[in-house]
Amino acid sequence: MAQPFPYTYYSCDCYDSKVTSIPANRSSQQPQPDQDEDERNFDPRNPRSNFSLYPIEQLLYCEDCQQIRCPRCVSEETQNWYCPSCLFEVPSSVIKSDGHRCSRNCYNCPVCMSAMTVSSLENPAEPSPTGGPYILACPYCHWSTVETGIEFEKHTGITAQLSRVANGGKHLPTQKERERERDRRKELENRRSRDLLSGSEDSPGLNRDDDGPLTHEDLYSNLMAFYKAQLAAQSSSSMYSPHDLSFASPSSYSRLLLSYSTSSKKQKRDKPSQMREAASPLEGLVLHDPTTDTAAIDRIRREGWSSTLSPAQKLSQTNHPTIRFTDELRPMASILCTKRGKRCRSCRQYLSKPESKITSTRYKIKLLALNHIPRLSLRALSSVSTPTARPSSISSMPSSQNPEFDYNNLRPGIPTHFLLHLSNPLFDKIRVTLATPSVTPGRIQSRVTILCPQFEVGANTDVWDDALTGPGGGVSAASGGAGAGGGKYGGGASEGHQIEAGKIWDRGRNWTTVVLEVVPGFAKPLAGADKEEVGELDEDEDVLEIPIFVRLEFEADVGVEERGLGDSRGSRGGGGGAGGAGGGAGSGETREKREEAFWTVVGAGRIADV
Amino acid sequence: MSRPTARKPAPKGEYIETDSGNKVSRRSAITGTANITLGGRTVIMADVHLRGDLHPTRSVPSSSGKEVTPTSISIGRCTVVSTGSVIKPPSRISRGQVHYYPMKIGDNVFIGPNSTISAISISSHVHVGANTVIHPFAIIKENVKILPNSVVPAQMVIPSGSVVGGRPAKVIGEVGEGWGVSGGGAGGGLGVGGGGEKSWVEGGDLRELVRSIK
Ligand SMILES: [Zn+2]
Ligand SMILES: [Zn+2]
Ligand SMILES: [Zn+2]
Ligand SMILES: [Zn+2]
Repeated sequence: MAQPFPYTYYSCDCYDSKVTSIPANRSSQQPQPDQDEDERNFDPRNPRSNFSLYPIEQLLYCEDCQQIRCPRCVSEETQNWYCPSCLFEVPSSVIKSDGHRCSRNCYNCPVCMSAMTVSSLENPAEPSPTGGPYILACPYCHWSTVETGIEFEKHTGITAQLSRVANGGKHLPTQKERERERDRRKELENRRSRDLLSGSEDSPGLNRDDDGPLTHEDLYSNLMAFYKAQLAAQSSSSMYSPHDLSFASPSSYSRLLLSYSTSSKKQKRDKPSQMREAASPLEGLVLHDPTTDTAAIDRIRREGWSSTLSPAQKLSQTNHPTIRFTDELRPMASILCTKRGKRCRSCRQYLSKPESKITSTRYKIKLLALNHIPRLSLRALSSVSTPTARPSSISSMPSSQNPEFDYNNLRPGIPTHFLLHLSNPLFDKIRVTLATPSVTPGRIQSRVTILCPQFEVGANTDVWDDALTGPGGGVSAASGGAGAGGGKYGGGASEGHQIEAGKIWDRGRNWTTVVLEVVPGFAKPLAGADKEEVGELDEDEDVLEIPIFVRLEFEADVGVEERGLGDSRGSRGGGGGAGGAGGGAGSGETREKREEAFWTVVGAGRIADV
Repeated sequence: MSRPTARKPAPKGEYIETDSGNKVSRRSAITGTANITLGGRTVIMADVHLRGDLHPTRSVPSSSGKEVTPTSISIGRCTVVSTGSVIKPPSRISRGQVHYYPMKIGDNVFIGPNSTISAISISSHVHVGANTVIHPFAIIKENVKILPNSVVPAQMVIPSGSVVGGRPAKVIGEVGEGWGVSGGGAGGGLGVGGGGEKSWVEGGDLRELVRSIK
């Protein structure tokens, strides 16, 4: 579980608003085909639910559609690219030409993926003018480029230096040098074939085939050059013909090339004809060589598994898909991050738009769900009934209050009371109707009862600061007690709060608390029950997750858009947009009835084994 | 660090409260008090060790000619350092000598219990989970969540808005637009945090939390 108990997730219904229902109770194997949509229950264990449940902080709200928007129903627009390590912005033109990696000195360790640092290997006895040589070293696992025989002269321009040196310190040819080398080899080959044809003996000067095998980069550049040459020899009139889907067609090649290259020369020709494939290594052809396999096997036999790479390490070496061994690792340039704006997918309205400056963490537009839908939170009743123990325990660990309630150890069969707290961010009073299946879905069936499923929650007002500082305001008792969280709940039921059906537990300015009675189910059937075979529980199947359907009704001013402007200022902290709506409420405009409904899932804890 | 109030508060309290509202546990271990600044309403819990004695040694030439006490740890407002954590300024060895560098922690930063922090800077609204180790010279920008039991490698830069976790810590997600926002529904009763139990929000304003610590 990503979050500690108790937690609340909100379901965005974009995930399958049209898909047919899932029977709530799995024990009744017969799904009712004519089940009304209103009677559908939300099953948090349904694999689909994974994609629809989010903590409220992650959700946005579209005021035009009046709906929650989750990461799946917004569309993102990249505003800027920047390096997570050096925090420099990279213009999009550079992204197109150089890719999405930092071209400064930011590298990640190929072994553990930590950010690497440039360190000096200078010998203090004989200092060098540059302070070098330098290496890239991992501060976490201590892998460094020394292990692959790479050192740098300067501590800047690592990318340029690294591109010139191969593992082992050998010189890595540049693009130009590769081209020259290719031409030289081609020339050689041509001469040799001419010699063969003319029947003459091999001239001694031509026996220079010992340049070693072509590297992956060589082959790649050869293939690129071959394709480009083929294209140049072909027509480009049908270059972008959408119907020409044959793999060997010029248009396919040009599309392929376009996606790998940055600059494409447009050349006008006519009469497309079939292109041939690469036929030799100089054209980029790679033939499978069984000896490399046996060599690799021999090497693994000799050096053991420790010299090989883990799949993750191998996959992250994007430029070297064929490598197998640790001495072939290369530091990886850091992948850039983005700042993104988010739009509603159905109405294209901006829901969030960060300020474009990289250093700024503010938003120009930010429409948060938590400013529009009530926040639900759960807490065990027993954890608020002994506030005296609180101060000492908070000093030991503020996130878990009293030690008495163990959310990871709910006792099956024993009725447990929870407080369900709803706080209202809207500046209108809301009427809330809660619904929950009486038995939780899943193998462990827990009984859930909301003692008071219908209640009102007061309007949010802009008195946050008044309540904190002012001497007495309307609900200052609640706000004052807020500091101590449950402090107000003093002696629990003894203070007039009642665990009684149809009655709320407590309420304040803009919040209401009701009691939830839960009888956690048994993981294994009781001894007396029929011995039906029950397999082992799956992971997290013992987590008590309660689906709760929340429906709100309220009357809002018709001109609520103003409120949107209010919190689109993206002000930090709550209460954004308080001003606009506060003014609207008093002006006696026409009010319209609004309704909103959504599923939530409350993780109440983990049911203990009996 | 501002001095404790002259009139002593209730003698038995866990915390000594300073003029600016800092709450420092009597059971915390603070060395080099003169080199530590607390911004106000900041909480130092029991068994926290602040190593103010590890201050920059290089003499700072001051304009007035007076000797300036070097700052080694500066912590902002409404920041909470939970029990058992160690705050130790980062150091570097150069020419055989250990040099300490001043460390800065922003406002509304929560440092979970039993963490060891040697970052060079932690910006505001950062939430550090329990049992986390932050190695020297790490830079943590604003609005970052570090999951419990993470190990942040030395000199790592964590860009703002990231969720990091693991050993070594990597960026594994984004905190989302609602990070630290308690929402209009805040206030009153219990649990405004998504987690339910808490009366405060991770990455948000920690005033409420500070207030509740007594
Ligand atoms: Zn959605
Ligand atoms: Zn960079
Ligand atoms: Zn490493
Ligand atoms: Zn919309």
